[in-house]
Amino acid sequence: MTEVTQNQAESHEPTGPSAATMAASAVGLTKVYGEGNTQVVALDHVDIGFEAGKLTAIMGPSGSGKSTLLHCMAGLDNVSEGEVHVGETKISTLSDKELTLLRRERMGFIFQAFNLVPTLTAEENILLPLLLGGREPDSEWKDRVVDTLALRDRLAHRPDELSGGQQQRVAVARALVTRPDIIFADEPTGNLDSISGQEVLGFLRRAVDDWHQTVVMVTHDPGAAGYADVVVFLRDGRQVGRLEEPTADLVLDRIRALEV
Amino acid sequence: MRSVFRLSLRNLASNRLRFALTAFSVLLGVSFVVASFVLTDGLLKTFDNIVEDANADIDAQVRAKSDFEEVAFEDRPIDQSLVEVVSAVDGVGEVSPGTESGKIVPVKANGDPVETAGAPILSFNWTGSSLSPLTLVVGEAPDGAGEFAIDESSADREDLVVGETYDIIGTEGREPFELVGLTRFGDENALAGAVLMSFTLDELQRIDGTEGLLQWINVSAAPDVEDAVLIERLEEALPEDIEAVKGDVIIEEDQDEFSTVVNIFGNILLAFALVAVFVSTFIISNTFNILLGQRVRQLALLRALGASAGQVRFSAVLEALIIGVVASVLGLGGGVLLAVGLRELMNVLGFSLPSIDIILSTRTIIVAALVGIGVTLGASLSPARRAASVPPVAAMRAGFRFGSGEGTRRTIIAIVLAVLGIAGMGYGLFGGSDDTALLLLALGLGAVLVFVAVSMFAPLFSSPSASFLGSPLEHVPRSKITGHMARENAARNNKRTASTAAGLMIGLALIAMASVVASSLKESFRAELGSTLVADYLITPATDGGQFSNQLAAEVAALPEFSEVSAVRYGAARIDGDEKGVVGTDFTVLTDLLDVDVLDGDPVASADPGFVLLTQEAADDNGVEVGDPLMVEFAATGSQILTVGAIYDNPFLIAHYLVDLSGWDANFDAQNDNVIAAKAASGVELADADAALTSLEDAFPQLEFDTRDEFREALEGELDSLLVIINVFLGLAIIIALLGITNTMALSVLERTQEIGLMRAIGMTRRQTRSLIRFEAAVVSLFGALLGVLVGLAFGWIAVIAIPESLIDRIAIPVGTLVFYVVLATIAGLIAASFPARRASRLNVLDAIAHM
Repeated sequence: MTEVTQNQAESHEPTGPSAATMAASAVGLTKVYGEGNTQVVALDHVDIGFEAGKLTAIMGPSGSGKSTLLHCMAGLDNVSEGEVHVGETKISTLSDKELTLLRRERMGFIFQAFNLVPTLTAEENILLPLLLGGREPDSEWKDRVVDTLALRDRLAHRPDELSGGQQQRVAVARALVTRPDIIFADEPTGNLDSISGQEVLGFLRRAVDDWHQTVVMVTHDPGAAGYADVVVFLRDGRQVGRLEEPTADLVLDRIRALEV
Repeated sequence: MRSVFRLSLRNLASNRLRFALTAFSVLLGVSFVVASFVLTDGLLKTFDNIVEDANADIDAQVRAKSDFEEVAFEDRPIDQSLVEVVSAVDGVGEVSPGTESGKIVPVKANGDPVETAGAPILSFNWTGSSLSPLTLVVGEAPDGAGEFAIDESSADREDLVVGETYDIIGTEGREPFELVGLTRFGDENALAGAVLMSFTLDELQRIDGTEGLLQWINVSAAPDVEDAVLIERLEEALPEDIEAVKGDVIIEEDQDEFSTVVNIFGNILLAFALVAVFVSTFIISNTFNILLGQRVRQLALLRALGASAGQVRFSAVLEALIIGVVASVLGLGGGVLLAVGLRELMNVLGFSLPSIDIILSTRTIIVAALVGIGVTLGASLSPARRAASVPPVAAMRAGFRFGSGEGTRRTIIAIVLAVLGIAGMGYGLFGGSDDTALLLLALGLGAVLVFVAVSMFAPLFSSPSASFLGSPLEHVPRSKITGHMARENAARNNKRTASTAAGLMIGLALIAMASVVASSLKESFRAELGSTLVADYLITPATDGGQFSNQLAAEVAALPEFSEVSAVRYGAARIDGDEKGVVGTDFTVLTDLLDVDVLDGDPVASADPGFVLLTQEAADDNGVEVGDPLMVEFAATGSQILTVGAIYDNPFLIAHYLVDLSGWDANFDAQNDNVIAAKAASGVELADADAALTSLEDAFPQLEFDTRDEFREALEGELDSLLVIINVFLGLAIIIALLGITNTMALSVLERTQEIGLMRAIGMTRRQTRSLIRFEAAVVSLFGALLGVLVGLAFGWIAVIAIPESLIDRIAIPVGTLVFYVVLATIAGLIAASFPARRASRLNVLDAIAHM
């Protein structure tokens, strides 16, 4: 697990990801915006897999397609070409309703900002995916999540009564409460001060280590990427590198190397 | 300033849909106002033309002198022998004697009498003269006994075919007549639903029971004879109680009569139109305020870039001005279309109105502009002032919010307005001024102020109310969370919820008030009927104001199944200079049929032409007691001194002055009955009495033979129909209010784009998203509807107090009906939110999340 196979990573890892160990995967994933002269290829035949039980970071410069990749994997955006699987489910052919249920039941989401519904309390926000599905929360699990994220005394508060870090912790709790197959986090620390950011990253790390959750996180912060098991580098819509067991320094080095 | 202008245009363009909806609500209001003017002007012009055409060739008319109002479309008759007197006058050209009757009804082939939606059925003698407005279009003119003609529209509507024979019911019963021809009135036969029949003079007089009598003699002048000279000569030749008037006078009188009716109709339309305008004012103001809140950053950026507060204010006012101008111009067009549409609707309903000239008078255009631009500008002033108060730093800082209004100041203003409003309504209802227009104005303005005050108070309790009203939503199966969020959303912005609900509040308040007044009227009537009407049977004409032969009462009285029978006749006489309603009835049986509550004197002993009975109220007015003389001036016989025979308390179903039928015979020209009241003989079952009347019912199909209950039901039915019409017109205000809900919800969706995107991302289905928006709209609507019903109950209660006790002596709250309206309004609000709900559910999740 600790092998750093830099060469392998740079050769684009042509082998298709095996679905068995992958929480989500894509083959030939292509996303094109616009038509004709104004056409922009955001993702260009990307083959990628996100291993179950790992924290994967997606990095790359602006316009590299890292957010688009996350959105396509999460079924929030439709793909132009290729196939996306979440677990065993091929999502590119699902209806809006099926996709919605998939997101509700098998995915968790953490966005950079505006993560919470302002009219709901922290507790209601945490339970929202369950409530939307009319499901009863597993209260033991919920309590564990809430306590781990130190949100016990904040449950009755509305988002505008919470600090930025607390809000983001509520979002993490919400993503965890359904015990999803995969959690997608889009720049989860982008709006936080460094201490709060580290807190949130620490919780994501614990979710993977202690609860065997799968997290895919888009970030531009090498420090954040340092929390990941695997870092995937994207540039111009292609995967251009892969780093296992990264540290912030290794990630920085790699970024410098890629940008040269 | 050019750049400010461009900015305003840009902003309008980028919020097209919002502004289109806003402009549409103004447009509807303006259209309604314009339509009421266009319809009124057009109808007046057309009727004026018809009257002018119809009487164009009449140089003079000879008729009975009378300064009394006409009763039931009939003038006092004149003696037919006057035709010879008139013909003998030097300078007279054509002489055309005429009479008219409203008591003759044709029977259709299926045996039913022809009925109208309130318009009269009139019969004229056919003259063939150019002095008559009638021309023959099919067949022959009636030329002998047993022949008649009818106007082409009525023939068409009632399936009457030339050459066929139909029964005609005159005052003497029914007999067969052959339909020999069809006539046209004026150029278009636009009779507003009236039926016109023609007979020969002799036949008409015979079946009308007016042999030897005419109502007028139309005269044209011989060549070279001035009208004035002709009149002078006629007046010389005629007896004192007969006058000759110029053709112009006839035209003017007829036009006045039409214009009175048309103006009442127009003013009623206008009143409803103003309600619609008032509601749209709330909506525009609300829209401006919401849009403003959403544009804080933009405004602040402008200020940061150097725009003065004045320029920002100016740009906001300019936007309103542009919307106002656009809405006014389109509203003018819309109003014309609406006027044409309303006319068509009336035609479908059986009031064949003439095709009207579209007259866009300067007044109409000015009023449209005043209403459209005035309302939008007025609604924009406060938002514009607030827009100018946005500090430049707000551009850099997220989360700038306008203050929720100066709480205390707002409350004080609301209290002042409420007090003024209630005072205005109080003066309007109890002021006792003789100027009806002034009272109505005070009433209307008072109501407007009360509505404004309520809408200003509403934010104080809109949030907790919405939260409370929305609480059942939390129990919606499988969608508790959607219901919960909808409830929270409805309670989220107290001002927005309050002003969105205000439109519905006004509409529902008016509807609730009308319902309360109507049901109180019904209850009072029912109770009064139960306690006052002793008669078991009432025979009334199916057409309002219809009269029938006095033979029928005799025939009913001859039946052994009935013990007491009396005819009732409605007329008028002048008492102490004022025209009062006078009712003729049989004093010997009066108290057996109607419990009038005799306070003093004896009606039976007063069954003589020399007596009059009056109510305590009338006795007080005249300062008389039983036994005192009272001067009564009749149209036919002039001033008569009658003796007060009895004083009674209850004028229900009758009037404040009663004469015996013998007194009627002595003092009135026409001896026809309006109503017959009858009481079954003791021991006779109502069913047997009913059966005994069957043959008479066949003979008089134009009459309703009602038991007391049937009579009550029929009257209540009429009241209900009236209520339906009122509600239909108020419906426009409701539609505008619903547009406001659509608008607000659309704006809220826009404002909460990110939130919706987030919820969609974490698993809210499209269906749940739609429910979320719809439920919220339903809660706001429910709040508005309930508030409206509360205000309406208060208004209704005040109105019931203000209405004389003789009409309404109790308040009845139609709980079921009100609940129905509230439920209906809530569902309507739910539906009104469909479009924004759909938009919300179709938002692209990613775009929504990225939305700033």
